Order: sequence, then C-alpha cells, then structure tokens
Amino acid sequence: MEMVVVAPPALGKIEDLRRRFFATPLQALLSLASLAIMVFLVWKLLNWAVFSAVFTTSGGPEACQAAAGACWSVIAARWRIILFGLYPYDEQWRSALACLTVVVMTVLSCIPAFWTGRRIALVWGAGTALFYVLMKGGVLGLPYVGEEAWGGLALTLFIFVTTCLIGFPLAICLALLRRSGLPWISRTTGLIIDGVRSLPLISILFTFAIVLPFALPQWLVGDKLYRVILGSALFFSAYQAEIVRGGMQGVPSGQEEAAKALGMRYWQRVGRILLPQAMRNALPATINQFVISFKETSLVIIVGFFEILASGNAAYGTGEWRFAYVEVYAFIAFIYFIFVFSLSRYGAFLERRMSVGER
Amino acid sequence: MISGNRSSGPAVLIENLDKYYGTFQALRKVSLSVDRGERIVVCGPSGSGKSTMIRCINRLEQHNGGRITVLGTELNDDVGNIDGIRREVGMVFQHFNLFPHMTVLENCMLAPMIVRKVPRADAEATARRYLEKVRIPEQAMKYPGQLSGGQQQRVAIARALCMQPEIMLFDEPTSALDPEMIAEVLDVIVTLASEGMTMICVTHEMGFARRVADRVIFMDGGEIVEQAPPDEFFTFSRNERTRQFLSQVLGH
Amino acid sequence: MVSLLRNQKVRNALLQVLYVGSIAAMVLAGIAIARQNLAAQGITSGFDFLFKSTGWDLNFSLLPATANDPYWWYFLIGIINTLFLGTVGLTLATIVGTIVGLARTSSNELARLLGRTYVDIFRNIPLILQVFFWYAVITHLPTPRAAHEGWGFLLTSRGLYIPFPNVSSAALAAATLAVIAAIALPIWLGRTSRLSLPVGQRGGIQLACAAAALACAAVVLVAGRLADLPLLDFPALQGLNLRGGLRIPPEFATLAIAIAIYGGSYIAEIVRGGFKAVGKGQVEAALSLGLGPWRVFMLVRLPLALRAMLPILANQYVWLMKATTMGIAVGFTDFFMIVALTINHSGQTIEAIGILMAGFLAINLSLAAIFNRINKAIALKGNQLRG
Repeated sequence: MEMVVVAPPALGKIEDLRRRFFATPLQALLSLASLAIMVFLVWKLLNWAVFSAVFTTSGGPEACQAAAGACWSVIAARWRIILFGLYPYDEQWRSALACLTVVVMTVLSCIPAFWTGRRIALVWGAGTALFYVLMKGGVLGLPYVGEEAWGGLALTLFIFVTTCLIGFPLAICLALLRRSGLPWISRTTGLIIDGVRSLPLISILFTFAIVLPFALPQWLVGDKLYRVILGSALFFSAYQAEIVRGGMQGVPSGQEEAAKALGMRYWQRVGRILLPQAMRNALPATINQFVISFKETSLVIIVGFFEILASGNAAYGTGEWRFAYVEVYAFIAFIYFIFVFSLSRYGAFLERRMSVGER
Repeated sequence: MISGNRSSGPAVLIENLDKYYGTFQALRKVSLSVDRGERIVVCGPSGSGKSTMIRCINRLEQHNGGRITVLGTELNDDVGNIDGIRREVGMVFQHFNLFPHMTVLENCMLAPMIVRKVPRADAEATARRYLEKVRIPEQAMKYPGQLSGGQQQRVAIARALCMQPEIMLFDEPTSALDPEMIAEVLDVIVTLASEGMTMICVTHEMGFARRVADRVIFMDGGEIVEQAPPDEFFTFSRNERTRQFLSQVLGH
Repeated sequence: MVSLLRNQKVRNALLQVLYVGSIAAMVLAGIAIARQNLAAQGITSGFDFLFKSTGWDLNFSLLPATANDPYWWYFLIGIINTLFLGTVGLTLATIVGTIVGLARTSSNELARLLGRTYVDIFRNIPLILQVFFWYAVITHLPTPRAAHEGWGFLLTSRGLYIPFPNVSSAALAAATLAVIAAIALPIWLGRTSRLSLPVGQRGGIQLACAAAALACAAVVLVAGRLADLPLLDFPALQGLNLRGGLRIPPEFATLAIAIAIYGGSYIAEIVRGGFKAVGKGQVEAALSLGLGPWRVFMLVRLPLALRAMLPILANQYVWLMKATTMGIAVGFTDFFMIVALTINHSGQTIEAIGILMAGFLAINLSLAAIFNRINKAIALKGNQLRG
C-alpha cells in the first residue's frame, strides 16, 4: 500500500500552517472551533486540577471546600481505603504487593516469549497463587486475612484475574465443544453460549450471588465471592469462546488432516496444531475481550462487593469529604484508564504488527 | 494394533468401496489390491474420485460401504485400528499442509515423538536423516513460510517418512507447484520408489508414471475404468474414456 | 465391553448422551433443589404470583402504576422502562457518536485530535463508574430553591425540569406518531417502487408529506391542549417545590447521559471504521464526475459507510440495551431491577429469573430482527461493488 510520495517543495512555516488548517473557509472555521474548544477545556481542566487545586491535607476539608479547584487532599487522606478497602492497616503492604504481582503478570503475558500454552499457564497460575497467598496469609508467618476483609483495587484485580484464569480454559473447552462434529454436543453448547451472551452481565452476577444458593445443595454453595467469580468467568468464556472459535475457523482444514494422517489423536491435534494457530489468529480480539472484561469487573459492586468503586464511594461518602466526589471518581477513573488504555494500545499495536506480518 | 500377518497378504486391499457425499456418490464399488512394494499411479479427470479413494485409506474420509484392509487390519469403527493404520500410512498433500508455527525440524519430529514416543534425540536424528534425503538439510531451522513451494513439499515428504510408514500416499503432490519446482519433488519420490516403498500416487505427471509405476490406474465417475502396467496403459489402452483423457493430458 | 468402547460410533453416541444428559441433570437438579428450598420457606412455585398485587412502589413509570397493581403489570412496565431508556440512550449515543466519529474522520487535524481524545477517555473508563459519577454530579446539584436556570430549563438535585406542552396524553401520543411519520414517510417514498414517478423527481412529494405530517402534529397538539392553560408549561418555583414542566428524574437523566457518552465513544469508532471501509476509488470517481464535496459525502461516502457499519452497530445497540440494567446501581426501575425487587419481595426466584431471561431474549431477538430487515433492505445487490 506504500505510495511513492514526491517530496513537496519546502514551504515556509506560515504557508504550511495555512495549508493544514486554513485551506478553505470551512476548514478555517473547523480549525478555529476545535482550537477554541480545546483551549477552553484544557484551561478549565488545568485550572481545576492544578492551578486552583489543594494538594495537602494540612488545611483539612474546610480549606479544601473553600478552594475553587480540585481537592486532592481527599485522595491524600483516603487513598488507602480506595486502594485497599478494609484490609488491616498494618498488612496493607501485602495488598499493594499483590496488586504489583498482577501488573507483573500482565506485562509478562504481553511478551511473545511467553506465548506458549505452558508458559502462559505457568505465569498466571503462579501469579494467582502468589496473589492469593499474599492476600490471605495464614502461612509463612503472614497473619490470616479472610476474603471478607479484602477490598479496593486488590479485590477488583483478584476478581479480574480469577475470572480470566477460570474463564479462558472454559472458553477453549466451549469453543471445542461448539465446533465438535457430534451434532448434539455442538448444538447444546451453542445454546449455552448464545443464552449467556444474550443476558446482561449484571443479571448473571445477580443470579450467581443471590439466586444460586437456593438451587445448590448446601455443601456446594461456597463463598459468595467465588460464586460471583464463577458467574463472571462463565460470562467471559461465552464471549471468548466465540473469539476462539473464530480463530479456529481461520486454521485451514488441511492442518487437521495432516495431523490426522500422521496418526495424532484428538487432544494431540488440538493441543499441538489447532490451538497454537487459532490463538494466534484470535490474539487481537482476545486482548480486546480482556479489556472489556476488566472494565466489567467493576459491576460486582452491584451484588455488594467492596471493590475499588465501592471503596471510592465510601471514601467520600462518609463524614467531612462529602463534597469531594469528583476528585475521588477522577482518581478511580485514572487507575482504570491506565490499565485499560495501555492494554488496548498494546492490542492495537499487535493488530497492526500482525497485519503487516501477513502481507 | 497392527497385528499378526504383517509379512503376508497385500498392503492395501479395497473391496467394493462406496462413498457418498450427501446423495452424490463419489465412489462406486471400487476394488483394488496393492501388493507390498508395489508402486501405483492413479490418474483421471478431476472429480473422478481418485483423491477420495486414497483419502479413504487413512480415514480422512469415512467410507459408506465395502471393506478396506490395510496391512491385514480392517479399517472399521474401531478407534485402535484407525490409529494403528494412520501410524503405518504416510500421506503427502497437494497443499503441503506443513505446520506453519513450527520449524521444519519440529514439523518432522513432532509426530514420531508424540505418536510413536520416540526419544527426542532419536527423533531429531531421524528427521535430519530424512531432510538430508530430500536434499534440504540446511533448511532445518527455518519456518515453512520461508521456503519455496518445492522445498515445502519436500519437507512434507520428509515429515511423512519420519513416521517410518509402510505405505505412502501422495495426493497430487505437484499440482500446486510452479513448473520449475515439479522436477525436484518428483526426483525425491522417484528415489523413494527405487528403494522399494509401497506407494499410491494420484498425479497427472504421465512421464513420472511411466518412469516409476508398476501399475497405472485410470478412474472416472467414481469407478476404476482401467488398470495396466504403464507400457501397456499408455500404448494399448482399450477404453474410450482413457484414450480421451490421455490425449488431453499428453496431447499438447 | 472394552472392544465396544473402542468403537467410534459407540463412543460418539456415548459422549453425546453423557454430555447432554449431565447438563440436563444439573439444570433439573438445580430446579428441584430450589423448589424444595423455596417450599421450605412457604413459597409455592408457579406463575400464580403474577396476578397478585406487588405492594411496593415504582419510582419511574411511563404507565400508571400503584402498589396495588399485579406483578405482570410491573414486569410490563419494566420492559417498557428498559426500552424507553434504551431508545433515548441509543438515540443520544448515536448523535454523539456520529459527531465524534465524523470529527475523527475529518481532514482537519485539530478536529481529529479532539475526537480521538474524547474516544480515548470515555471508552477506557467503565460505564458503571461513569454512571456513579453523573449520579453524584446530578444529586449534588443545588436544591430547587437555588436551581440553575436558563431558557425555561431548571437543573436541580431533584431532576431536570424542562418546559412541556400542556396537552392531553392522547394528543401527545398522536403528535409523536405524526412526527415519526414525518421522518419515515419521505424515506419510504424515496425507496418504494409502487410510485410511477422516477426517484429523482420525488423531492416535492416527500417535502409535502413531511410538511403535512408535521402540520398534523401541530394541529393535534393545539387541539388537545388542556383548557385554561398556556400551550407551553414552564417549570417554576412555588413555595419549596417546583411546579409545572416535565421532570426528568435524576436516575433517568444519569443513565441517559452515561449511556450517551460511553456509547457515543464506541459508536464513534464504528462510524470511523465505516468511513474507512469506503474505497478511495469510489470517492475519487465521484469527485471526477464533478460532484462537490457535500454531494460526494451525501451520495457516496455516507450511504456506503452506513452499509459497512450497520452490522457492528447492531451488536453495539444490543450491548447498550443490556447496559440499561445498570439502572439498579442508581435505583432506576428498569426490567432487571423489577425482577430483582420481585425476588426480594415475593421470593418467586426461579420464575422471576425465567421471566428475566425470556425478556432479554425477546429484546435481543427483536433488535436483531429489526437490524436484519434494515440490513437486507439496504444491502448492495451482488458483490461486485465491495472494497
């Protein structure tokens, strides 16, 4: 698609600007309007967030409320509750370390050297185990902290990571079942996948958290947290299964035939030939699904979990910081933004790189 | 598994084979016996069922009637029999079907290691030996996408040979190749033939058929119309359809 | 026995029976246990409860509702609320998305930057967080006494008040229909083959039809006005409260705004993708025919882009329709919240979940059906014009 571009004759800076932004009256109008909006928004934002903002807690909430700009002191005063929820104060370093584990895990998963089934499973398995041990304690001299005390960012990340850890293998199973040559298996699986996909996530979380205990024998009910994680994983897997199946459809049928002709059994063909190629095809859509799923983790607040959004509500909702809700939401939004934006940029980068590779 | 009378009887025995795709009958009562060490070339117009026939031999297609016996084992619904037969029957495809996510060497080592449970070192030694044999040992560490069509097809042959099969099936191995690459692939197959491998080859390369085949089979409309040793086949073919086909393939 | 297990056909049959059987068994066991548990709490299963009165109130309803109404009526109201919120949200999101998407595809770098910033920010923050944010903003608005005021609109913590015609609800419904007809009729006239007039010469008829329909709407509104009141009712402070106008409750406003902004960022990307899919060649061909930029846009780029984006847009609309379930976060009585409340109050768990699933299945399927119709109607005939 590269076009040969004849180098334009060197233009003066002014002439260049004129061509780029003021070529026609309409263009000029558009440029000026955009510029005006931008300058206005940037100035408002900077003025609010930086110039007129209060950053220290020294004046207390009163000094803050009087200021015209943002009151970042609420973050300074309440960041621990936002990030760690009700986790015991002295142990919050463990919660922080656990969050760091997830970040490291995610970064490692983005490195192509880890893109084999075994390695990625190892990274996520070990990472989640480490996360769990750090958070829960009870071993290695770490005091025990039950799940009911988990909260904030750590809980959000825990739900996300376990959702993926359970949902991903489940998605592969569902995709394999759906493309099975046995009609009853593929039809039943299709029904399950389409059924789950047609429901809103909130209703699934609600069903798993509140309704399921009625429908399970007593010994199976388990903790509400893990039921919600299961529901979330089921939802994730229904969407991811279709992505994986799309990837499988991109693998030529000759691959399967060659593997059969070499005497490979079903699981050998799936594990060695089909999945490695299918997952590569499905990679950009998969990352996109991870991004969506991370954003949707925030919905567990509705079934009563003290994740980062709920702890944010608590951080400004009680006592003297009632007025500082914008700052708290901005802080949480910023945390989400960093995770989601970097991951989706990475996905876009991969997509570009892979489409170049295909040429 | 493959049992008992390995040393006696035909390598492949096909009796009254029927195959349907929906209501379309692709094979009609096909019968064929291939002896050990025999080299068969199958030809015929497209859609004549020749590919379907050899794909039935290792159960890439499931036949609907008749019997197929490979090396004394009947190919039926018994999973063990199917696995056993596939281990002993190698296949080379028109479009190579190499595994693009593995190097050439890995392509050759995979099946022996996981199907035959050969130790890695032995598998690698075997793979390198066969890559030598198909004359591309220097490409072992490359990926299939980096090779030319002819090289890929030779890798595919080496990959099949690494399983040490008793029988080799070739499904139009040169049809997808550029003309200048056909010779290098056919040379490899000729070498194999001269070493006494049992092989069934679907091809339109009549020069090749004349050179290596013990028997040439002509199929049309899902039936075996004629079979004869090459000299006889090319000079005194009795059937009208065969003569017409030959004049089309050889004519210009 | 062993040899039987090695038989492929036996294996396949066995696998299917095991798979389908175990799933069916799990579902049936779940239902049986649930019935048992509920019976222990004195709740009889069955759909009789639909005809009992609910005993609790709704905070938002387009139809009259009291605590004496039966459950089935509430479910209907819930579906209507969901559809209403969804329609408003989708319309707003489409408007926002179209503007931002056009900015993103414009030839002007500044406009592109602006559009991109919008998409990057609002796409990457979870919808529920945005819902909470807007809810906090709206509920922190001043009380009615100190309301922000302008052009007859009032912004207060009790909701948004807008001027509203003083007409009977029947006249309002008729006028709404007339306005829809004013939009739909010209479109239909432009496409139908029942008219002998060539398509190019139908402009007059289209215009006349639209004008007539709008006139009808005006007449109906004037005729249906309530006696002794001005035609437009402006909200105003009376004592401690606001009177008059139409009150949009904070919950509804919050959700509509959040869906419009979040959905807008997704739709903007779809719009951009649609325009990207229009081949350069077609635009160049149109330009070389001497069409001006505006006509190239209206006659070539937009129709082609619309066809490219429609299937993806359909998925997005289904997604946004499901997003109305976030109503429960702020207490908007959408379909899901009514189901949740039903479970709380009546304990009819299995039935309510069944109704929930059926309701969403129906909504999804009908949306999909509508989009399939549109898709088929505007699909390019043949496939030689792609790319």
